[in-house]
Amino acid sequence: MLNPSVWKVITILGIILLLLSLIHFTGEDLGHLTLADNVILAGFSPLQGFASRAGTSTAQFFRGLFDFGTLQEENEELRKELAIRENLRYQVLELQKENFRLREMLDFKERSEYELLPAEVIARDPSNWFETITINRGASHGVMKNMAVITSQGLIGNILKVSRNSSQVLLLTDSRRAVSALVARSREPGTIGVVEGFSGDSLSLRMINLPPEANIQPGDSVISSGLGGIFPKGLVIGTVQETGMDQYGLLQQALVLPAANFNRLEEVLIVMEFPFEEDEQEIEEFIPESGVNSQEQEEDE
Amino acid sequence: MRDKLSLKPYIVFTFLAIITLIIEGSFFSVLFIRSMVPDLLLIIVVCLAFLWGEKKGIVLGLICGFLQDLFFGPAIGFFTLAKMTAAYFSGLSSREIYKDQIVGPMMTVFLATFVHEFIVFFLVELFWENDFSFFFALDQIFLPRAIYHLVLTVMIYPLLYRAEQKKFFNPSFR
Repeated sequence: MLNPSVWKVITILGIILLLLSLIHFTGEDLGHLTLADNVILAGFSPLQGFASRAGTSTAQFFRGLFDFGTLQEENEELRKELAIRENLRYQVLELQKENFRLREMLDFKERSEYELLPAEVIARDPSNWFETITINRGASHGVMKNMAVITSQGLIGNILKVSRNSSQVLLLTDSRRAVSALVARSREPGTIGVVEGFSGDSLSLRMINLPPEANIQPGDSVISSGLGGIFPKGLVIGTVQETGMDQYGLLQQALVLPAANFNRLEEVLIVMEFPFEEDEQEIEEFIPESGVNSQEQEEDE
Repeated sequence: MRDKLSLKPYIVFTFLAIITLIIEGSFFSVLFIRSMVPDLLLIIVVCLAFLWGEKKGIVLGLICGFLQDLFFGPAIGFFTLAKMTAAYFSGLSSREIYKDQIVGPMMTVFLATFVHEFIVFFLVELFWENDFSFFFALDQIFLPRAIYHLVLTVMIYPLLYRAEQKKFFNPSFR
């Protein structure tokens, strides 16, 4: 007969093992939620929406209160800026036309080809360990796991879990998220890398696995490559801030400033459907393994 | 003689935990973007485990950890394990500390925060891998959060201590 203290240890170990198994089985690719998830999240998502709006209003109130002293000065500056912007507007129209032509030349697909569903952010993971948000659109609105989520500024992440009326979005800034990306300027297959969350600084992203000869420099825009099939090709991810070699000195890496403002995520767009681009396959064939790509380019030249 | 158990305090606690999670996730995280959001639920569960003892503390940890996993967790069991352990630790420590003085629970919350954050760090490392070192986390996450929680305990513990005197929030009939 075992004494009570041994039973106690066995019980504690049993509970720990049970919980670790649960984490293992539910933590990986659980696209759908359990019944408990659905009941809790569906039941409380309106309340979360209400609290989120209250939080946004309170934050705006305090921001306005603290900024009152500088409002007059800001007003004067804005008037001057408005006059300058009026001139700039005409230049922008010209640039838009040029941009359109360039897009055609580069065979970019128009963004309007995506079917988008607007959603409101109703909660954010408060634990500081994970970068996830909860939005008020779920399976009943046609949302499915892995759909890309964007703002008007750029890509922010993808759907991680779906319940009936809400979904959890895994943000790009989470270290568990990685996106295949390329440099928009060159659009060379040799500049395909992986953009991932960078835990050291939750406002920055890191582009890794770039070949040493990759044509990338600060100021370059980074866009999704479309490889992997989750994210449509051409979504803006951010701008390169710094480049350098990785810790082993074998591959290049870059620090990327996200295009989307992850501090102000209030409304987002879910990419419900996007056309498959045939040239994704071509790019896939060019994924560099040992600098073969650059040799091929040199030969072409 | 064994205490008669009442379910009512646990039901009240479950509602309290849900409201706290909504406030944390939808109000505080919007209000204090990019700042450290306090884990109010951890403070509440540690304070209550301090008052109710380690066995009941485990149940409280189970309830609130499970709810947190449902709302925000990356997997079921993740915050459950962390919260249960922190509550157990708190319940054990309360045996030797006076409950009617604030210093005891303050120190317990401070230490329980380290326990909780260490388990979260360990689980992230085990299942997904952390991008930063343990010492970075200790310096940038564990310590600031523990100090933050220690200060908030001064406001939260007296409320829970008073509520615990009421029948609806006491798990044992006296």
